[in-house]
Amino acid sequence: MSDPAALAIDGISKSFPAVKALDGVSLSMRAGEIHGIVGENGAGKSTLMKILAGVQRPDIGSIRLAGEPVEFRSVGDALNAGIAMIHQELNLVGDLTVAENIALGREPSRFGLVSRAAMRTAATDALRELGSAVSPNARVSTLSVADMQLVEIAKALALNARILIMDEPTAVLSERETSALFALVRRLALRGVTILYISHLLPEVLDLCDRISVLRDGKLVTTVRPTEVDERKLASLMVGRDLTEVFPPRARPAPAPPALRVESLSVLPVVRDVSFEVAPGEILGIAGLVGSGRTETAEAIVGLRAPTGGRILLASKPVRFRGPRAAIAAGVAYVSEDRKERGVHLPMSCVENVTIAHLKDFGRVFPKRAAERATAATWISRLAVKCPNPAGPIRALSGGNQQKLAVAKWLDALPKGRQGVLLLDEPTRGVDLGAKREMYRLIADLAAQGLACVVISSELPELLGLCHRIVVMRNGRIEGEVDAESATEETIMHLAAGVDGASGSASSTPQRRTA
Amino acid sequence: MILDRVSQLFERYGVIVAFVGLLVWNGVFAENADVFRSPENLRNILNQNAATGIVAIGMTLVIVGGGIDLAVGSVMALAAAIGLLASNAFLGFSESYVESGTLSAGAAEWLAVGIGFAAGIGTGLAAGALNGVLVTVGRLPAFIATLGGLVGYRSISLALAEAGEIRATKTAVLTEIGRGGLPVVPGSLLASGNPLIFSWSIITFLVLAVVGQIVLSRTRYGRHLVAVGGNPTAARYSAIAVDWVRFVSYVLIGLCAALAGLLQMARMSSVSTSQLGSQMELDAIAAVVIGGTAMSGGRGRVWGTVLGVLILGIINNMLIVSQVSTYWQGALKGAIIVVAVLIQRGRKT
Repeated sequence: MSDPAALAIDGISKSFPAVKALDGVSLSMRAGEIHGIVGENGAGKSTLMKILAGVQRPDIGSIRLAGEPVEFRSVGDALNAGIAMIHQELNLVGDLTVAENIALGREPSRFGLVSRAAMRTAATDALRELGSAVSPNARVSTLSVADMQLVEIAKALALNARILIMDEPTAVLSERETSALFALVRRLALRGVTILYISHLLPEVLDLCDRISVLRDGKLVTTVRPTEVDERKLASLMVGRDLTEVFPPRARPAPAPPALRVESLSVLPVVRDVSFEVAPGEILGIAGLVGSGRTETAEAIVGLRAPTGGRILLASKPVRFRGPRAAIAAGVAYVSEDRKERGVHLPMSCVENVTIAHLKDFGRVFPKRAAERATAATWISRLAVKCPNPAGPIRALSGGNQQKLAVAKWLDALPKGRQGVLLLDEPTRGVDLGAKREMYRLIADLAAQGLACVVISSELPELLGLCHRIVVMRNGRIEGEVDAESATEETIMHLAAGVDGASGSASSTPQRRTA
Repeated sequence: MILDRVSQLFERYGVIVAFVGLLVWNGVFAENADVFRSPENLRNILNQNAATGIVAIGMTLVIVGGGIDLAVGSVMALAAAIGLLASNAFLGFSESYVESGTLSAGAAEWLAVGIGFAAGIGTGLAAGALNGVLVTVGRLPAFIATLGGLVGYRSISLALAEAGEIRATKTAVLTEIGRGGLPVVPGSLLASGNPLIFSWSIITFLVLAVVGQIVLSRTRYGRHLVAVGGNPTAARYSAIAVDWVRFVSYVLIGLCAALAGLLQMARMSSVSTSQLGSQMELDAIAAVVIGGTAMSGGRGRVWGTVLGVLILGIINNMLIVSQVSTYWQGALKGAIIVVAVLIQRGRKT
């Protein structure tokens, strides 16, 4: 390569308190290249992107654009140099029109007034270049997510971006929207735009990218061409070892009366007439599309929502809990979805997060800190949590490790010597592959010890691999039950969507927002 | 990296730096340093700010729990007014027993004051409980619920005394409580030869400060309060009785406000229903903020609030000693509050 690379990163390192996020990473890519970046959560992908986009500054190392060394002090610097980032959470102002958004911050003006005509023309041009039919006058809040993404890209191109960073852009798109986006990305690359493409979805990265760089623990493992690797190889490069069985072997629970039995439970209008039971040692899956009433069912069981009808029986005795406090006292724990908002207390320490749900067992008025620390240390080693400083805030941990502590919180709070029921809501969302595998083993172990487990998940392979039985919900009702060993993703999707050949998987429901 | 560390340390311990800086400046370099550093002057600063301090300790708990209480000043006035009215009423009622010799005059007065304090504390607890119910059961924003209290309780106090002053019918015991105290430093150690007396207000303030800090950092309740203030949803999902935790914080600040009001009342042996506790909510919130407690809740410290109260007190004292017009004090106070929040902003949760 005699031409200077479009973007060259040389020896970039960045440390945060207690973590080395990036450690001497060097990359270079030519103009028009689609370059994939993969790695587990916490591998350093987002830090690298933030540095390129001017959000953070590296401790050491340099960046060169077309051979010229650059130094970004702000997002504005990076934009001016031609690097734009399309965030996962789109940065658009919903109440403004498409044209206004594209021109935001550098509105064309005449006589000190914004020139709407010039703004519209520029927007129309930018959108036409992308082959988009979106009207420049449409209010952004009325667009679909896919169209919003297009507006973001148009905005970046209107800024003459030469490097486009895309962070998990397909996470919110349907299959058809995804292929349209890929076609667009390829067109942009042909025009010489360099694209840094970050994704968890390995098939998609292998399909789209010219080269793929793998990050692990802040270091660049290797850069490969898609022709040199397959999905399995890529995954093992990310994790750093061969991925043997992801799912632990399924143990058959001994027949026993149900630990938890739900009869005709209703929380109108979101849950209607839901019945199921789960025995000690059994893992019951609940499948369904987003919005099918799965979370609401679990919340009704532990009293976070008031049931409007039906019965809940714990070891054959009817119960109705007033909230998680009453539920946990009776041996029912609910590990919520949405870890950051509900599962963990981000500003509080790891130790405090483990003991918070049953602090009174550490002292009625004054919790004994030494006992708390000892308990947390036990769980940290038992669940293999990567937690260098248990007294430090839990926010310093990666998502998977936070999730483990959220589970530890409830395992520790379950009353000893009593039949326990563990409800897990999306226990592996946003968690990397290695941590997922450990979470599966943990759940299987807990079931083997006699805990009755209910796993709510949008990932069908996870339910099929982990559970004994799976009930499928749709529109607040149970549509059917399948045996996890013999069922396929298709049979579950059929029940969950109510039609044959429903598009995509349960996890990627396109959320169209229309006016 | 090093700069980050320094700014982090400053955010965390800046209040100590400011406090020590003020002490050193006023006690060593300022023109009237010898006046400032005299034990009597320092004691007087404590005395003048004890009521604010007592309220600010309660305010710290409420703010850490994600709330705010604007009603404290009005609760002070109401608790003091009802306390004094109850005390006066008992004195009137007991007259016949004193005349008949069943009760000694002294005992009657002590009993009256005891009943008055009990009534005042009961008033504070009730007012706090009502605020707590409005916020938790009524789901009102704390700002609105306690704004109602700010206006409402003050109005009731004014109505009780026709907007005037309530005077104690007998003042001997009240004066003993309001002006008396404990000799903390013996006279033999002091230039003046007189022992240094800490008023009951100061002692209440200091004891509550220690108790408040322990409650916040060492008790189960304190931990729950931090969790609720940091993220109420996560707290609810973690089996914490969120509403109860919040409710208790309002009851506690009601208690603090009542104590502050009653001690003020005792000092004057009277209650000016329009003056007592007026604008106390602002001083208390200011002290909490200067002390490094996050207004958004979930993070705070009582010791910081105590320093916040003292910083505001010292600045007042400093301006008085150097004969700056009292009208300027507000401007300086305002500037300090804004700067304190600006420094805080660096460590958003």
